[in-house]
Amino acid sequence: MKIAPPTVRPPALCMKRRWASLTLTAWGVCSLHIVRGPRASAKGCDLASFELLEPRSLGEAFALLDSDDPAVRPFGGGTALMLMMKAQIFKPVRLVSLRLLGGPLHGIELAADKSAFRIGAMTTFAELEHSPDIRAHLPVVTQTMLTLANVRVRNVATIGGNLAHGDPHLDLPPVWTALDAKVRIASKAGERTIPVQELFAGYYETTLKHGEIITGIDVPVRPKWTSHYAKVTTRAQHDWPALGLAVSAQFDGKRINDIRVVLSAAVDRPSRMKGAEAVLRGAEIDDAVLSRAADAALGEVHIESDLRGSADYKQHLLRVHLGRAVKALSPRGDQATIQRA
Amino acid sequence: MAAAIGSSIGKSFARLESRDKVTGRADYTHHLRLPGMLYGKIFRSTLPHARIKRVDTSAASALEGVYQVVTIDDIRKVIPNPYYGPAFHDQPILADGKVRFAGEPVAVVLAFDKRIAEEALGLIEVEYEELPGVFDEVEAMTSTTLVHDELKPAATFPDLAHLKGRKATNVALDYKLRRGDTERAFAEADHVFEHTFRAQQVMHTPMEPFVSIADFKDGQLTLHTASQGPSFVRIEIARLLGLPENRVRVKVPFLGGGFGGKLYIKLEALVTALSVIVRRPVKIALTMEEQFFMVTRHPCTFTIKSGVTKDGKITARHCEVVWNGGAYADIGPRVTQKGGFTSAGPYDIENVTINSYAVYTNRPPCGALRGFGAPQTAWAYECHTDLIAQALGIDKIEFRRKNMLREGRPQASGTPLRDAEVERAMDQVLDRLQWNKPLDRGTGRIRRGRGIAIGFKGITAPTTSVAIVNMYGDGSCGLYIGTVDMGQGSDTVMAQIAGEVLNIDPTTIRVIHPDTDVTPYDMGTLGSRSTFHMGNAVRAAADDAKSKIAALARELGLPEGSNVPLSELLRRRYGMQAGNIIGTGSFIPDYEKPDTETGQTTKGTPFWGVGAAGAEVEIDTETGQLTILKLINVADVGTALNPMAVRQQLSGSGIMQLGHTITENMVFRDGQLTNGSLADYKIPSLLDMPVEYINEHVPNAYDKAGPFGAKGTGESTSIALSPAIGNAVADAIGVQIMDLPITAESIYRALQKANGTPLAED
Repeated sequence: MKIAPPTVRPPALCMKRRWASLTLTAWGVCSLHIVRGPRASAKGCDLASFELLEPRSLGEAFALLDSDDPAVRPFGGGTALMLMMKAQIFKPVRLVSLRLLGGPLHGIELAADKSAFRIGAMTTFAELEHSPDIRAHLPVVTQTMLTLANVRVRNVATIGGNLAHGDPHLDLPPVWTALDAKVRIASKAGERTIPVQELFAGYYETTLKHGEIITGIDVPVRPKWTSHYAKVTTRAQHDWPALGLAVSAQFDGKRINDIRVVLSAAVDRPSRMKGAEAVLRGAEIDDAVLSRAADAALGEVHIESDLRGSADYKQHLLRVHLGRAVKALSPRGDQATIQRA
Repeated sequence: MAAAIGSSIGKSFARLESRDKVTGRADYTHHLRLPGMLYGKIFRSTLPHARIKRVDTSAASALEGVYQVVTIDDIRKVIPNPYYGPAFHDQPILADGKVRFAGEPVAVVLAFDKRIAEEALGLIEVEYEELPGVFDEVEAMTSTTLVHDELKPAATFPDLAHLKGRKATNVALDYKLRRGDTERAFAEADHVFEHTFRAQQVMHTPMEPFVSIADFKDGQLTLHTASQGPSFVRIEIARLLGLPENRVRVKVPFLGGGFGGKLYIKLEALVTALSVIVRRPVKIALTMEEQFFMVTRHPCTFTIKSGVTKDGKITARHCEVVWNGGAYADIGPRVTQKGGFTSAGPYDIENVTINSYAVYTNRPPCGALRGFGAPQTAWAYECHTDLIAQALGIDKIEFRRKNMLREGRPQASGTPLRDAEVERAMDQVLDRLQWNKPLDRGTGRIRRGRGIAIGFKGITAPTTSVAIVNMYGDGSCGLYIGTVDMGQGSDTVMAQIAGEVLNIDPTTIRVIHPDTDVTPYDMGTLGSRSTFHMGNAVRAAADDAKSKIAALARELGLPEGSNVPLSELLRRRYGMQAGNIIGTGSFIPDYEKPDTETGQTTKGTPFWGVGAAGAEVEIDTETGQLTILKLINVADVGTALNPMAVRQQLSGSGIMQLGHTITENMVFRDGQLTNGSLADYKIPSLLDMPVEYINEHVPNAYDKAGPFGAKGTGESTSIALSPAIGNAVADAIGVQIMDLPITAESIYRALQKANGTPLAED
């Protein structure tokens, strides 16, 4: 693979101008390079200048990202990154947009036998939200969309960027985890696939290695399962959750045959609560079982105080909402709701 | 007496500026760029209280593209005494040897490119000697940690002169009110109740952050600034520079919200000093996050004690109100006085003692915020009212009626209640809440309750407004006023008043925005005063123009009452389309300064702001989740000059106060703000609106001193809203929340405490 040499462009006056020139040249065949202009040329803009690149193939992307500089980053929709840039937390030197990579990074593909979805990393939330296939087979995902961000963000944010961000307050990662989804990760060395849960290493930390890019996720369609996501907010209704609780189960009559219980936001990464799952697996739902499950859940996660609630209060919320989420499962099908406290 | 309704008054004209705002054409200071302009970025202290040992700006200055880095040493060369403030000259333009709150400006980087200025901030190094801090207002009362060495009252407030030079205290001002013999009344009372309530620190959160541009050249200064008080800015900046007022010009376009934050001096002194130093225009525009360090609302601890007879008559009240003013006084001493003034509530009580203290702490400064202290005091006195009624087993409404201050009766200061519809406002709330019908109190974990509250506020006095009506040669009209339209609709309402008097269509009147070279003096767009004060001035100016037009007609030999248009009169007078008719008017209300020792005065407020509120709430007792099913606001606005604009103001102020009641809270740890962004400081969104939200004014109310019977209404719904919700919550769960904000966790904690199974303190 050959990479075109950087094209030096006259200094743009402002980011707006840069985006304009980007649009004009995006139809070209080679990757687009915009080189930093003299700083003084961009007065009036709030962001320091940086290089924005739009490779056309994964190979190009890997080459452009081959740097030890943490200020060289790939991005999907850029919604989270822009906030960090505006807050001066992140000052990029080079941003590599993945939006023109095409092929495997785009699209929502339902297998012919309807057994699984293959979803490209650059799929936007809005595409997920409005997909009839997703609505039919993974309704909890459609419903979760209505609890998160806003139309403008959902039009731009991508599922790959959302996973790579590693923010434990995000709503989709616990849902993917409860759905047994796997994330596809590519590098020059090839592709690997891991359960979504294994992607997260801690607060804003992932297990992605240097030179790796998320290319998509694989989500099994489990016809006999039913799922629920509860986004629990404690201050304004539209807020980051104090806790996110995704529950997915397969019933045999009233008995829970199998179950996933995933907690996010109150912990440093989306976490399966296997102790709670063990209590619930094989049980019929009643208050005593739910209480034991809550005891198990509280025993296996570490919750700290933050602006959304004290540790004690959030533990209490976990107890209450675990019970409510499990009770909300089954006959009525999937649900996702904003639960205020 | 009914309102005089003519062609303009009492009609819901759409805002004159609506189209410009919706289409993005309206002018804001943020849009303005001047040739050769430098941008300033502020380096802020990271410690809440420390001595500055060294500021090293060398690396920042050396960065390519940096024009200059400025500290207080540079400012002192052009402004020898670089301290400002409306009440106390206590605030240095940049930190002067000491920082008093985390976030205080220490240095400014100037560059043509604001990103370079921003980048250079990271290269400034400051060495501090950390000092112990004091953050809580009650602790600060007696703390040996002193925020300021000495009190420095400004000369503009003669009633503070006695505080000059006072040392070894954090108490900037102690307001006192004494009526009757409170001690004896307590001794004779059948019951004595005492409660302590707290209100939290919150921020104005205007969508347009602070922005100012100074342009100093040829010994003259022009300021373009997002300010609510251009006249004050001119006076204070002229004082700092030692210039006469006519060398300082202050221009203010539309504001994207102010709410009291953009009063007095904010960025203006800083950009002025910078422009004088570099002899170029300088612009500083804060980010949304920096606003938390500019000005905020006072946290308040209010201990209220009442003596009550067996049959429910309040005979004595003692108010101990402590206001956390933060590091600099700003207008806090006035908040302390005005908030203190009405802190005994709209009740007829023979014996009242009020002590209200403005206290310095190492927090971001606190100043005026919609309500000017009334929301914090009403939170205490109206929750207290319900608690007493509950304890005595008296109906809460009857208890209020029995003690309510009625028309003509002296309020605690001795100023009689006049044209204040407290009881009618309450009755209207009760009607809208269907109070006489039984409430479905819920079952299981769901509990419902309802509550009401009433409140009032005094208006800052005495203050002056001056207006000019200028009729041009073609008969069209320009209205020259210093009132700042910051979203409240003042342009429209002032045009209505002028149009009413001059019998012209208000939508054809051009309202000239504040420009101190052009528009006359106005004390400021603050404290619900514009409709009343400027409205009276505009009416007087229009009357003056009208009488001058009549005089011109007489001069031209026309019979009395002739219908010749003004354009024709001027044409006859000057032989062509030429000339002006200029009407002027000014207004200052009747006022009597309160006695320093007793706070007694017969004329303490130009009018009474009156608001009543009611709420119906639902609580999930398992989690503390609060849903506001119904929220009713009723205000006495006198005559509603523009009923639609009134309703919008009542609604907007109510939503703001709702945020201050249930979602907003500046959280500090060791003097450091921990949630200084809109992701972590939550203002209410559409989803937080009450299920049913009703805002109304009392019909056929009339203030005899107001223009066409009107009074100001920008704050009326900020007063009683918090206690109405607090009382509804208490009604639902049987536990009174004492501290704002009322959150799901605070409700759940209160429930657990009442159940004897308290959660661990966080």
